[in-house]
Amino acid sequence: MKGSLTKTVILLVGMYVFLKFILPLFTAPLPASLIFLYLALTLASAMIFYTMSGGSLDEFMGPIGRFLTGTGQTGIAGTARILVFVLFPLLVGWQTYTRLAPSDVPPAENRTIHPAPPGEFVGLSNPYERTQNNVMMGKGLYAAFCSPCHGANFDGKGPAAVGFNPPPANFSDPGTIAQLQESYLFWRIKKGGVGLPVEAMPWKSAMPRWEVELPDEWIWKIIMGEYDGAGQSPRTWEEEE
Amino acid sequence: MGYQKIFSVALGLIFTVTGAGAPCVFASDPPPEDGGGSVAVRLHLTDGPVPSGDPNAAVWDTIQPAEFKLAPQVHWPDRIQEVTVKSVKVRGMHNGQDLAMLLEYADPSEDAADAAAIEFMVGDKMAHFAHGQEMLQVEGGPVNIWYWKKEDGKGTDMSAKGFKTIRAQDNQNVSATGAWQEGTWRVVFSRPLQTGDDHDVQVTPGEWRNVAFAFWDGEIVDGAVKEQGSQKAVSSWWYFRAEPPPDNSIYGYVVLGIALAAGFEFFLLRRIRRGNE
Ligand code: HEC
Repeated sequence: MKGSLTKTVILLVGMYVFLKFILPLFTAPLPASLIFLYLALTLASAMIFYTMSGGSLDEFMGPIGRFLTGTGQTGIAGTARILVFVLFPLLVGWQTYTRLAPSDVPPAENRTIHPAPPGEFVGLSNPYERTQNNVMMGKGLYAAFCSPCHGANFDGKGPAAVGFNPPPANFSDPGTIAQLQESYLFWRIKKGGVGLPVEAMPWKSAMPRWEVELPDEWIWKIIMGEYDGAGQSPRTWEEEE
Repeated sequence: MGYQKIFSVALGLIFTVTGAGAPCVFASDPPPEDGGGSVAVRLHLTDGPVPSGDPNAAVWDTIQPAEFKLAPQVHWPDRIQEVTVKSVKVRGMHNGQDLAMLLEYADPSEDAADAAAIEFMVGDKMAHFAHGQEMLQVEGGPVNIWYWKKEDGKGTDMSAKGFKTIRAQDNQNVSATGAWQEGTWRVVFSRPLQTGDDHDVQVTPGEWRNVAFAFWDGEIVDGAVKEQGSQKAVSSWWYFRAEPPPDNSIYGYVVLGIALAAGFEFFLLRRIRRGNE
């Protein structure tokens, strides 16, 4: 078990590179807090592993202990040691300052973008057939009612998009409707921003509650037109399981 | 076995060091959704009186404005697809007693029906930015709207909770003055931070609150006012905060933090040395 400390450091760096740079190629980037948690878990596991495999904790901790006490150190290692001892308190001081200093940045809000829909909207399927006519009609309705915000190109860049925070969803982004089922869209379009649960901050959403203006039939056809126009297809039940 | 004993201490050290370092190492989280404009208005703390009633006071130009984009109101009927006011610059000041907010925006013509409004949530309940309209899963609160119209020549303190419920309050606490010059309106709203009126937003220095804006171009086009009622330029919720008084106790905590960290190092070293003996 020689060099268990080195191995652990390599493991941690590798893990960081993986979480930070490689994973985002396939999915949404992880928040920093989550990456930190995963790294902490990896480290804890490594330490437990070396402890469990008997006696080797000495090897693991040895280099750290020798470094900190300065045993047999000369030159660069000695300077590094002093640097660590000076930097650590400064880092704590700086950290305290940034936590307490008055900030001009409002508190971060973690808005859940895709909260669970109410039960009555789970598993509905589009009652209208996907005919050329229906898709055309849906696209026409979309142009009339949705494009001012979501954009004629389904990219969330309509002429009215700029004033709103959060911005209107970009349907051509694989992170929005391609992740969702038609029944979920039916809920979101019918009930709008005000239909969202508290974790999705309904008070901020400009998405209209279309049930007060549009019949269900139109909403189902808009959904067809929306997927077609955005070049996406709905997530289906089979993929879900 | 010294190492066994210091196991948890060392673990703590590593976690503290990485925990402290993490924010710098990982500072590249995706930025908040802000569409490129500002996110918040800061009401700058001043010693003297705030320039209520004076949109052209020189002191306004010493403040860096926040800028918010505006959209034609297409969220609920009656909609409008094209509006005059495309964005607004907002500056704010307070002196612990009174606050003033200056809205500056482009409008090519000065008209009697030109109007501007600032909206706030009231109390602790969240309110939808569209006049506190009903939410289906969350019990919402009312909104407080400060309204100015050129022909009124004053500010009106209003309340709403849901569409078509907007009305002027019995207690009027808001004043407003507008000045138009070369295609730009400058409208200053002012009010005491605290009013003791339950229908009003109460502003406490240091506390973040929500704010939204609306504007109407009152130009007469084909015999009718171009923008009125729900046909206006709007924003949804952004933030504002009255700057808190400076707090020097922070430096005390910084010194304490440094001392604790140094003490920690000292005892850790002693522990390891003992373990090695
Ligand atoms: C006033 C602007 C506006 C209009 C008009 C509008 N939307 Fe939206 N929409 C939004 C905003 C803002 C969001 C993002 C916030 C949210 O999820 O509520 C959104 C979100 C959505 C979502 C959720 C996407 C996701 O990934 O969760 C769907 C679906 C949607 N809109 C469909 C429509 C359809 C269909 C129409 C037309 C019938 C429409 N919208 C009209 C503003 C608008």
